[in-house]
Amino acid sequence: MILNDFFIFMKQELMLLFIIFLLLLIKVGKDRSNESLLYLINLLLLINVIAGFILPGEGSLFSDMFRTNPLIALEKNMLNIGTLIISMQSYSWLKSHKHLLEFYILMISTLLGMFYMISSGNLLMFYLGLELSSIPLAALVNFDLEKKASSEAAMKFILSSAFSSGLLLFGVSLIYGTTGSLAYAEITSHLSTDPLQIFAFVLFLAGFAFKISAVPFHFWTADVYEGAPVAITSYLSVISKGAVLFVFVSVLYTVFKPLADVWYGMLFVLSISTIIIGNLFAIRQDNFKRFLAFSSIAQVGFILVGISGSSSMGTAAVIYFVLIYIFSNLGAFGVVSIVSSLTGKERISDYKSFYKTNPFLSWILTIALFSLAGVPPAAGFFGKFFLLIAGAEKGNYLLISIAALNMIVSFYYYLRIVKSVFMEPNESPIESLTIPLISKVALYICLLGIVILGLWSVVYDYIFTLSPIF
Amino acid sequence: MITQYLFYFLTFTAIFCALLVVFSKNPIYSALYLIVTFFATAGHYFLLNAQFLGAVHVIVYAGAIMVLFIYVIMMLNLNKEVEPHKSNIIKIAATVCGGILGLVLIAALRETELGEITEYSNNGIGLIEKLGNVLFGAYMVPFEISTVLFLSAMVGAVFLSKKNIH
Amino acid sequence: MGASSLIVLAIAGIVFSAGGMMIAKIFVKGTKNPQKGQAYESGIKSTGTTWSQFNVGYYLFALVFLVFDVELVFLYPWAVVVKSVGITALIEIIIFIFILFMGFLYAHKKGALKWI
Repeated sequence: MILNDFFIFMKQELMLLFIIFLLLLIKVGKDRSNESLLYLINLLLLINVIAGFILPGEGSLFSDMFRTNPLIALEKNMLNIGTLIISMQSYSWLKSHKHLLEFYILMISTLLGMFYMISSGNLLMFYLGLELSSIPLAALVNFDLEKKASSEAAMKFILSSAFSSGLLLFGVSLIYGTTGSLAYAEITSHLSTDPLQIFAFVLFLAGFAFKISAVPFHFWTADVYEGAPVAITSYLSVISKGAVLFVFVSVLYTVFKPLADVWYGMLFVLSISTIIIGNLFAIRQDNFKRFLAFSSIAQVGFILVGISGSSSMGTAAVIYFVLIYIFSNLGAFGVVSIVSSLTGKERISDYKSFYKTNPFLSWILTIALFSLAGVPPAAGFFGKFFLLIAGAEKGNYLLISIAALNMIVSFYYYLRIVKSVFMEPNESPIESLTIPLISKVALYICLLGIVILGLWSVVYDYIFTLSPIF
Repeated sequence: MITQYLFYFLTFTAIFCALLVVFSKNPIYSALYLIVTFFATAGHYFLLNAQFLGAVHVIVYAGAIMVLFIYVIMMLNLNKEVEPHKSNIIKIAATVCGGILGLVLIAALRETELGEITEYSNNGIGLIEKLGNVLFGAYMVPFEISTVLFLSAMVGAVFLSKKNIH
Repeated sequence: MGASSLIVLAIAGIVFSAGGMMIAKIFVKGTKNPQKGQAYESGIKSTGTTWSQFNVGYYLFALVFLVFDVELVFLYPWAVVVKSVGITALIEIIIFIFILFMGFLYAHKKGALKWI
C-alpha cells in the first residue's frame, strides 16, 4: 500500500530520475549521433508530459516531507510542457552541440529540483530542491562554451544565487530558532508577529525575490539572460521563475498566513518598484534577450500584485497567468532562439522588416508579444486582468491603478517591436530561414496555447476549483 | 566553568579569523584563516555535544573543501596585484547597508521575548545514533535528493573543465 | 567535562607542538643567507615567480575526492543504525551509492581522472 502510494505520488519525479539515469548511461556508453538522440529525448519528454496527467494522487509521504495534490500535479505538468517546448525549440542549436547529453542531464536535474521544491512540506526539503534547481543551472548558463559572455553570466549567476541562498538560509535558521520546527504545519502554528520572526521572514522573502528577480533584487537578471544561450534564457525566465512563483504563492498563503498583514506591505513595495523599473528599463533595450529579461521582470511585478491581494482568486490567478506566460514567452523566445542559432543576430534592430523574409516567424512573434503586452484577444490580457482583480481584493486602488498605467506603458515597447518587424525598412534584413519541423511544431503549440487559453474559460475554472481558498 | 571559557575562546577565534579572511590581501592567507575558522566552529559543535558533526566539519570542510578552495585559487592564479580596486562609495554604501541590517537584527532580538531557554541537558541529541535514525528515517527523501545534487554538480563541473573531450 | 575535554586536549596539542618549535627557535643558533632560502640549495638558480597557473586537473581530482568524502561521511551513521532501521536503510544506501557511482562513471568517461 505504502509502496503503491509512493509510485503514484512521486511518479513525475521518478520519471525524471529515470530519464536522467538513462541519459547518463547513454553518455557512458558508446557515442551516438546527435539527431537520433534529440528525437529520443524529445520523445521521452513527451511521454513524461503525458504520464504526468495520469492519476494525479493526493496525499503526503515520508512524514509530510513530500506532499502532492491535483494542483501540484498540474503545476508540475505545466513545467513539463514548458521544458518540452524549450527542448523542441532549441533543436537547431543543440543539433551541432558537442555536449548535448550533459545539457539534458543538467536541465532535467534542475526540473527535478523544482518538482521537489513544489511538493515539499518541510523547509529543509524546500531548500534542497531550490539548490538542486539552481546549481546545475549555473553550468547550463555557461553552455555557450566559446563565448566569454556566457562564462561571465554563469559566474554572476552562481554568485548571486549563492548569496540569495545564504539570505534564505539565514531566514530559515531564524524561523527554526523561533518556532522550533522545519515542518510547514508546525511553523504556521508557532508563528506570531514577533520582531525576530518578521526579520526572519524578511530574509526569507529577500531570498525569494532574488530568485524571481523582483526589483531591488534584479541586478543579475539582465546580464545573465544576455550572456546565457537562448534556450537557457527562456528556461530561466519561464520554467525556473514559474516554479519559484508556485512555491512562493503556496508558502505565503499557507505557511506564512499568520504574517499576512506584514507581507502585504512588503509585496506592495516590491510589486510597484518591480513593475515600474522593469518597464522603464525595457523601453531602452536593443538586445532582444535583455529586452525580454526586463519584460519578464515587469511581468513578475504584475504577478506580485495578484499575490498581494491574498484573495481566494490569488492562487488561481497566479497559476493561470504563469501558464499563459509559459506559452507567450516561449513563443517570443522560440523565434529569438531560431534566429539566433541560425544567424547569430540578437539585436532588436536586426529584426526590421523581418516580416518580408519570414512571415511565419513574424506572426508568431507578434502574437506572443501581444499576449505578453496584454492586448485583449490574446490570452495575456485575461491573465493580467485576473491578476489585477485578485490584487484589488484589498481595496488598494493605488496599487491597481499604477499597475494598469504600467500596462499601457508596456504596450509601447512591445508594439514598437511589432512595428519594426512589419513596417520599418532595412537594407540587410534577416534572410529567409528554414525552420526545422520539430521547432515549427513547438511554435504551433505556443500559438495554440495563447489562443485557446484566452478564448476557453474552462482552463481557468479548472485551476480555480483546484486551488485552495485563502 | 571551563565550557564557558572555551566557548568565549572559540567564538573569539572564529570571529577574529573570519575578519582576517576578509581583510587579508593574499587569497592563500584568507584560505588558511578560513581553516582556523572552521576548526573553531567544529569546536562549537563539540561543546554542543555533537561530536559527529564536529568531526565531519573538520574532515569535510577543513579537509576536502579547503583543498578545493586552494586549488581554485591556484587555478585562477589570483595574485595580490590582480585584485580590482573598488571605489570608496561602494565600500561605504556596503558598510552602511550591512550596519543597518545588523542594527535591525539586534533591535529585533531585543524586542523579541525569547521562550524559556531549556537548560542544556545531556540527552545525546547530537550523537551519531540519533543522527542516523533521523537521517535514514524521517529525512529519507532529502538524503536521496542530496545525491542527485552531488551528481548534477559533478556532471556540471566535469563537463565545464573537460569541455574539449567529447 | 565530556566534550570540552576533547577541546582541551586539542589546545594542549597545539601548545605542545608550538612550544617545541618556539624552544627550538630560541636555542638553535641559525644562520641566514639568501642561498639557504632557495628551493634547491646548491642547485640551479630558480627564476620567475612561484605563482603559476595550475592545471584544472587538480581541481577535478579534489572535486571527485570531495564527493566521495561526503559519501563516506554518510556511510558512518548508516553503519551505526543499519541494524535498528532495517531493510529500508539498506535500500537507501544502495540507491545512494548507485547514484554517486553514476557520477563516478561519468567522470571516468570524460577522462576527469586521467592525469592532464
